[in-house]
Amino acid sequence: MIQKEVTLLNRLGLHIRPAAQLTKIAEKFKSDVYLLKDGMRVNGKSIMGVMMLAAARGSTLVIECLGDDEQQVMDELVQLFENKFYEE
Amino acid sequence: MSELLQVSVFYQDNQDRLKLKLRNSPRGLTREIGQKEIHRPGLALAGFIELFTFDRVQILGNTEMKYLHSLSAEDLKKSLSRFFEFEIPCLIITNENPVLADLAAAADAVGIAVFTSPLTTTEATHLLSDYLDQKFAPSMAIHASLVDVYGTGLIFTGRSGIGKSEVALDLVERGHRLVSDDIVTLTRTAENVLMGHGREFLKHYMEIRGVGIIDVAAMFGVRAVRQQKRVETEVELVEWRSDMNYDRTGLDENHKEYLGVKIPHVVLPIYPGKNITVIAEAIALNLHLKVYGFHPAREFSRALTEVMDNQSRLQSYLEKDFE
Repeated sequence: MIQKEVTLLNRLGLHIRPAAQLTKIAEKFKSDVYLLKDGMRVNGKSIMGVMMLAAARGSTLVIECLGDDEQQVMDELVQLFENKFYEE
Repeated sequence: MSELLQVSVFYQDNQDRLKLKLRNSPRGLTREIGQKEIHRPGLALAGFIELFTFDRVQILGNTEMKYLHSLSAEDLKKSLSRFFEFEIPCLIITNENPVLADLAAAADAVGIAVFTSPLTTTEATHLLSDYLDQKFAPSMAIHASLVDVYGTGLIFTGRSGIGKSEVALDLVERGHRLVSDDIVTLTRTAENVLMGHGREFLKHYMEIRGVGIIDVAAMFGVRAVRQQKRVETEVELVEWRSDMNYDRTGLDENHKEYLGVKIPHVVLPIYPGKNITVIAEAIALNLHLKVYGFHPAREFSRALTEVMDNQSRLQSYLEKDFE
């Protein structure tokens, strides 16, 4: 199991489109993906779960991946956060 | 949730219900309540402070207030200073009793909020217990969908994308009621009942893969949704695997535990063309029968045994008397 802390840098926070991008990536992989924020832990493959976090710009989340391809999925997710979900 | 409850939140939540009014400085609002119990501190005010459960919300009713009124100025001071040495979260004076100036001042000195309520002590106690029970009930969130099927709360679990939402939607279409899709918050009530409800702002929204986000309440109307439901059975959806053993008789019941409450657990293998919705209805109705004391699998087993017993009795009868 690996964990990594990320900060939301895109303008509107984790709204519906970024949430969809995130779950799409998570779903490609076999590993379980969880997002942690303020004591909440949601399934990264569920768009409703991800949106439930209502994570605004500037908030920090922890990504947790568990499984055979955990490193690959983590890399892709971190890249997504770093590139501000390719917005603008 | 089951952590600490700030007095300011407590005040806000109960302002209308208990008609609470803050009677001294708002400094005491930053204190925290850590317990769901409440306490009437009559004995502590009178000087018996052993076993004084000071860390609870303190209720001062007619008895306490009359007692304080009866004290001489000196005794009152002594009683109050002893009382406020304890870290009390807040106190509530019921029955429209006037707040003693000395009491409010002594509470102010240590930063403890004093509220009044026009309700009787009994009414206030009931409402408060109810509220605190709810606030401090153990809870957890799970990845599941909760539907009321014929009055039975079924939670559907299983890996992401297996079709929990689709089953829930199909059930709603057939007239059952959705509580929450995708994320269910479970709480254990005081009576050890497992209750499930959805998150405030995601309520009754659903994601259907390929379609996107839909609003079930808007589509199907108010009869298709409900706010919360007792969780009675877990239905775990799994992919069909020929090497797995699935329950064939229903004689043995499997259980799963959430927050210390045991609920029946059914593992349901799925494959294309299998109608999970109808099976879910059958599970709910079967549970109804069991609740009413009729266990279909055991009934069938008993009938079968009876037939076999009769047969062997007849056989042995015939064997003993050749015609």
